[in-house]
Amino acid sequence: MPRDSDSVLVDEDGTGTGQRHPARRRRARILLYVVLAIVALLFIFPFYFMAVGAFQKDPTTTLSSLAPTGRWTLSNFATINERLGLLRALANSLVFTAGVLAGTLVFGLAAGYALARLNWRGRGALFVIMLGVQMVPFQLLMIPLYVQIAGNYGLGDTYAGMILPSLINTTAVFIFRQFFRSLPESIFEAARIDGASELRVLRSIAIPMVRPAIATVVLITFIGPWNEFLWPFLITKDSSMQPLAVALANYISNVAGTVANPNGAILAGACTLAFPVVILFCLFQRYFTASDIGAGIKG
Amino acid sequence: MKTLTRRTLGAAALTLPLALSACGRSAVDARAASTSRGPISIWISTNEQELAWGKAVAKAWNAQHGDQEVTVQEIPAGSSSEEAITAAIVAGTTPDLIFNISPAALPDWVRAGGLVDLTTFEGAREHIESRGGSRARNYAEDEGRGGYYQLPWKSNPVMLMYNRKIFEKAGLDADHPGLDTFDAFLDASRQIVSSGASGSAIWPTPTSDFYQPWSDFYPLYLAQTHGTRLIEDGRTTFDSPDGLAVARMWRTMYEEELAPREQSTDDAMTTGATAMQLAGPYAIATYEDAIDYGFMPVPTVDGIPAAKTITYADSKNVSLCSTSRNRLTAWDFLAFATGEEWDGKLLETTGQMPLREDLTSTYPDYFEKNPDYTSFADQADRVADVPYVSGGIEIWQRFRDAYSGAVIFGKDSVTDAFAEVSRQIDALVKE
Amino acid sequence: MTTSTSVAPTSTPGLPRPATRDPWWRRLLGKQPLGLGMSLPYIVFLALVMAYPLGYAVYISFFDYVFTAPGVHADHPFVGLANYRAVLSDPRVLDSFGNIAVFLVINVPLTVILSMVLASALNSLTRWTAAFRVAFYVPYVTASVSLIGVWMLMFSDDGLVNSLLGPLAPDPSWLVNSHLAMPSIALFVTWKQLGFYVLLYLAALQNVPRELYESAQVDGAGAVQRFRHITVPGVRSATLLVLVLAIITGSNLFTEPYLLTSGGGPDGASASPVLLIYQKGIQQGNPDLASAIGVILVILVGLLSLASTRLTKED
Repeated sequence: MPRDSDSVLVDEDGTGTGQRHPARRRRARILLYVVLAIVALLFIFPFYFMAVGAFQKDPTTTLSSLAPTGRWTLSNFATINERLGLLRALANSLVFTAGVLAGTLVFGLAAGYALARLNWRGRGALFVIMLGVQMVPFQLLMIPLYVQIAGNYGLGDTYAGMILPSLINTTAVFIFRQFFRSLPESIFEAARIDGASELRVLRSIAIPMVRPAIATVVLITFIGPWNEFLWPFLITKDSSMQPLAVALANYISNVAGTVANPNGAILAGACTLAFPVVILFCLFQRYFTASDIGAGIKG
Repeated sequence: MKTLTRRTLGAAALTLPLALSACGRSAVDARAASTSRGPISIWISTNEQELAWGKAVAKAWNAQHGDQEVTVQEIPAGSSSEEAITAAIVAGTTPDLIFNISPAALPDWVRAGGLVDLTTFEGAREHIESRGGSRARNYAEDEGRGGYYQLPWKSNPVMLMYNRKIFEKAGLDADHPGLDTFDAFLDASRQIVSSGASGSAIWPTPTSDFYQPWSDFYPLYLAQTHGTRLIEDGRTTFDSPDGLAVARMWRTMYEEELAPREQSTDDAMTTGATAMQLAGPYAIATYEDAIDYGFMPVPTVDGIPAAKTITYADSKNVSLCSTSRNRLTAWDFLAFATGEEWDGKLLETTGQMPLREDLTSTYPDYFEKNPDYTSFADQADRVADVPYVSGGIEIWQRFRDAYSGAVIFGKDSVTDAFAEVSRQIDALVKE
Repeated sequence: MTTSTSVAPTSTPGLPRPATRDPWWRRLLGKQPLGLGMSLPYIVFLALVMAYPLGYAVYISFFDYVFTAPGVHADHPFVGLANYRAVLSDPRVLDSFGNIAVFLVINVPLTVILSMVLASALNSLTRWTAAFRVAFYVPYVTASVSLIGVWMLMFSDDGLVNSLLGPLAPDPSWLVNSHLAMPSIALFVTWKQLGFYVLLYLAALQNVPRELYESAQVDGAGAVQRFRHITVPGVRSATLLVLVLAIITGSNLFTEPYLLTSGGGPDGASASPVLLIYQKGIQQGNPDLASAIGVILVILVGLLSLASTRLTKED
C-alpha cells in the first residue's frame, strides 16, 4: 500500500502537476497513445509479415517486400496443402484442443471448486502437488508416458492417447480454485441454511457465477494443445492423425531445406495455424476483459 | 512443520498405488511367432517416392497372399524417426518390419531387445550376403562374424554436386572441374565467392544435430582415410593427421566465409545461393528441372583417383521387430521386397541405390536411360558407413558439438577439441 | 423410486445433528467427502500422467538404466549419485544451465517491467483499449510453431531486421551468434508471452482503488510517483505470480531452441536443460542421465520460485 508520507514529498521536479496544467496533461495523454500505438504495431508486425508473405509468389526478406504491389498468389497454400493436408491437419488440431478444453472445463472446474470450498481430507496435499507439478518439464516424462499410454493402454494412434497427457490443465485448476475462493462465503452459507445439498450449491450458485473465469481458462488452456508438436508426433504413426503444429514443425525442420522456395509454403502453413485463432480471439475479445480474472489472482 | 510432513505423506500415499500400475506389457512368444504366418504391418519413410514403392510392393504381395496381408504405415522421415522407433520399441508398439533403420541407432535397439536376428530364418544369411556381397558383413554383429539384425537395404553414396552455371560464371571448367585436392577445392571456392558468381561456395547445414557430420565432415574423412570409420576396434580414429586435415579444411571454409555459418532458410542450391553441396542420388530428382548440375567424387588432401575414392554410404536398412507375431510372413515379405525385381523398382522409383553388388550390370537398362545415376552406382561399390557401436547417437552428438565449436565457429583449436572429444568418446565406447 | 422416498426422511442431510461422533468415513475423508469425489478425476489424472512418470524418472536417475522392449530383461544396477556426478561434470550440461540463466536474466525482468508498465498505461486510458489489448494478446494466442517460421525469416542473415539495420547488423547474425542466440530467444519469448502477463496485471489493477490515484494526484504526485507508490505495491501479488510463472516457463524452455536454433544453436549457445533432457533421454537412449538433469532442474526451479516468493513478500 502506498505510503502517504512519500506521496506528499514528491513532485518537486514538476513531472506531473496535473490539475494546474490541463494542456500538459492532454499532451502527456497523446504521447502515451502514440507510444502504445508504436508498441502495438511492433507486436502485430510479424503477423502482417506472415500474411503478406503467404500470398506472395516468392516472399523475400527485403524491405520492399513489405508493401508488395503485385505477384499475389494462392499457390503457397496449394503447395503446403499438398504436403500436409491443411484441412485434415486443422481438424485434428481442433479435436485435440477441444478434448483438452472439455476435460479441463469439466474436471478442472469440479476440482477447483472442491479445493476452494469443500473441506475434505487430502485437500492440502493435492494443492501442494498441484503447485509442484507445474515445475516439471514434460520432456522428462515423455518416454514413461509413451510406454504407459501406447504400451499399457493401447492408445497409440488415437485421439484419446493424444489428449490424455494434457487432459486437465493444472494452471486452469489453480485459476478456478482462486476464483471460487474469492467468492464471499455468505452466499454459500445462505444456500446451505436453506437446506440445499452441496451438489445443488455447486449447480445453482457456483457454476452460474464462474462464467467469467471460464473465458480466462479457455484462453490459457487452448494454446497448449494447439501448439504441442512432440507428443502428438510420437503417439501417431498415421500422418492423417497429425495436428497442424506437428506437420508444420516437421515441415520446417525436415522438408524446408530440400525445397526450392519453402518460405512461402511455411508462411502459408503458419497463417493457417495462426489466423483462425487470431480471428476468433478478436471476435470474442470482449470476454477476455481484465475484470474477469480480477478475482482469480487475489490471495 | 507437522502439517507439512503430513501433507508430504499424504502426497506420497496418493501416488503410491499408481506406481504399481505399469506392468502390463505382454511379450511375444518368440518361438511360436517365428514359425507363424498371418497379416503384418510395415513402416516406411514418408518420402514420397519411397512410399509409392512401398505401397506398390505391398499390393503385389497382397495379390498373391490373401491370408497374409501387408499394411503400410508411414513414419516421418528425417531427424525424428529415431525417436519414434525408440519409443515404439520400449512400448512394444513396433510394426513387424521397419524399412527405415539408421545403422547409427541400431545397436541400441538390438540391446533393448527390440529387433530379431534375421539369420534365425532359413536362407536369410545367404540372401543377405549374396545380395549385398562382401559389404554386407559391415552390418553384422560381432565385427561381421555374427548374425544380422538389419538387412542392408539401400545406400545414398555421397558425392560433390555442383552447379555448372555458377562454375562457368566463376571461370572454372564445368566439364572437368578436377577439384580432387583440398587446395584445388579451396581455390575454386575462393574463386566462386570472389568472382561474385555465388554468395557462398558450399553450404552444409551448420546446425548441431547429431547427424549433420554425415553431410560435411564424414564423407571427406572416409575418402581421406580410404574408408576408416569414425571408430575402429573400439577406438576413435579421427584424432589423426587425416582427421585434423579434413577438419582444418572445413575450418578454412568457414573462416574465409566460403561456407555460411547459418542454416539456409530455403534450398540454397536451387536459388543459386551456393555452388556446391554434398549429396546423394536422391538429389537428382530434386534438381533435375531446377539447375544444370554435375557430380564429382569428394576431395582429399592430395587427390585420390575417382575410381578409388570411398565415400559415406548413408544407408537405410530393414529390421524385423520382436513384437512381430507372424515372423515367417515378415521374413518372406522382406525377402520378396529385396529380391532383384523389387530392388529394380526401388531404383526406378526413388533413384536410391539398393545395397547390392554389381548394380550397373544387374540393371543395365535403367542406367542406360539414366546416365546421371551411373556415377552413383559406380560410387555405390565404394562406400563405408557409420561404425557399429552402442550409444552411436550420443557419440555423434558429442563429435558434432566439438566440431561445431572448433570448426564452424572457430572458437577452440581443432587439435585441442579433437583430442578432448576423442578422449571422451573412447571412454564412452569402453563402457 | 419407492425405496428412495421412504429412505430419504431418515437421513435428512440438511438438518443440524446432535454433536455425536462422526461416522468413520467422515473421520477418514473429512467433513465434506464430496470434495474428494469431485477431485477424483483430477487426482487420478495427476497420479497417472504426472506423479507416476515423475516418480519413475526420479527412480531411474539413481540407476544405470536403459529402456528395453517388453519382456526383455536388462540389468539396472543401482549407482547412487553417479548419474548426478556425470551430468554435473559434463560441461555441456553446465553450459545449458548457464544459458538458461542468461535467458532468465533477460526475460524475467523484461517481462515483469514491460507487462506492468503496459498494463497500467492501458488501465489509465479510456479509448482504444480493446484494440491495444488485442494487439498485445495475439502473439500469446498464436502457436509458437507458426511464429518461429516468421522470426526465422526476420532474423536470418539476410533477413528483414538485418536489412533494416544495414551496416549495424551483427556479424555473425542473430541466431548463429553465440552471444546473441540466447538473448534473441529471450526476446522472442518475452514478446510471445507478454500478453498473458499484461492480462494478469490488468486484472490485478482492477483491485487497486481509483481513489488512491486521485488523492495522490491532488497531493501533486506525478505519474512516475503514482506508478511507484501506488501501482507497484498494489499489484504485488500479481507480480509474484508473474515472476513465478515466468521463471517456470523460462526454465522449461524447449520449443524455441529446438526449432528456432535447431539442435541448440551455435556451439550449443542456446541449448537449454530441457533440450538436453530430450537429446539424452529420447534421442541418445540415456534416460538415467536425462532424469538426473530433470531432477536438478526441478529442484533449482523450486528454489528460484521460493526465493522470488520471499523477495516479493519482504521487499
